[in-house]
Amino acid sequence: MKQKCDNQQKCMKMIQAVLDGSASAEEVEHFKLNMDACMPCIETYKLEKSVKEAMQGKVEKKCCPQSIVVDIRAKIGLALLLLGFIFFEVKIFHILFSC
Amino acid sequence: MEEEIVEVVARYSEKEKYVVFDKEFMPHIDSMYNFAFRLTNDEDDANDLVQDTYLKAFRFINSFERGTNAKAWLFRILKNSFINDYRKKSKEPSKVDYHDVETTYNSTEDAEMDATSDLRTETVQDMIGDEVANALNSLPVDFRTVIILCDIEGFTYEEMAKILDIPIGTVRSRLHRARNLLKEKLKSYALSMGYKTNDFESQEEEI
Repeated sequence: MKQKCDNQQKCMKMIQAVLDGSASAEEVEHFKLNMDACMPCIETYKLEKSVKEAMQGKVEKKCCPQSIVVDIRAKIGLALLLLGFIFFEVKIFHILFSC
Repeated sequence: MEEEIVEVVARYSEKEKYVVFDKEFMPHIDSMYNFAFRLTNDEDDANDLVQDTYLKAFRFINSFERGTNAKAWLFRILKNSFINDYRKKSKEPSKVDYHDVETTYNSTEDAEMDATSDLRTETVQDMIGDEVANALNSLPVDFRTVIILCDIEGFTYEEMAKILDIPIGTVRSRLHRARNLLKEKLKSYALSMGYKTNDFESQEEEI
């Protein structure tokens, strides 16, 4: 097994892409064929995976306060109400003065 | 963003607008809020940013095609609103450490490797949420953004490229640099908190 990787930066980018599910078919194939033969790449894979998992699982996911949801709905509802009111006014104006 | 949300022909009736808004946009509100909070580091700013984004999304709803990626579309609006409005008037001064950015952008490939190779997998696994979140929050906003989009929200590189309006190659490079800097922050934090790193072990061996 190789103890030194000659393309560490390139390999790290490829490993990250594999973990992110965004690697090309060619990269995935290269990864499968060569990964087990290179100790630094195995270590890199483990570390990158642990950092990604820490981001996914350990960073608190903030939820939107219910008051914001209520505010958004109210503002959109109000906008529609105003629009409806303007439409109604225009209609009335049209009926009254079109003759 | 403007080209994305320019008003097009009326695609939806008034009733349909509400249906699209409720079914396609509202399910993403927690992710949107989390993204806004991680960008601004402030609950009030996150509240305002999410509200502005949703009102803008409703206003320009005709430029959204039902069945396409609503989450990416909303994230793109939020990111642009943040850049155009909130970054300028943020209550909190920018936390960008220009030394970090300069080092990370200019570092040679070998130097990047040296800086990160001594963080141990076990150390990262042992860290608690606040420690990981602090390291994330200390990153410059452009680096923080790609990590949030990729690792927390699970967007693909292609989706990230559309949200950030940059080529996929730039997404890859930025993520790579962001992760190197993140590992550097995690390593510093681990050392300060007394976690074992390879640095720590080699110091012990020398003694």
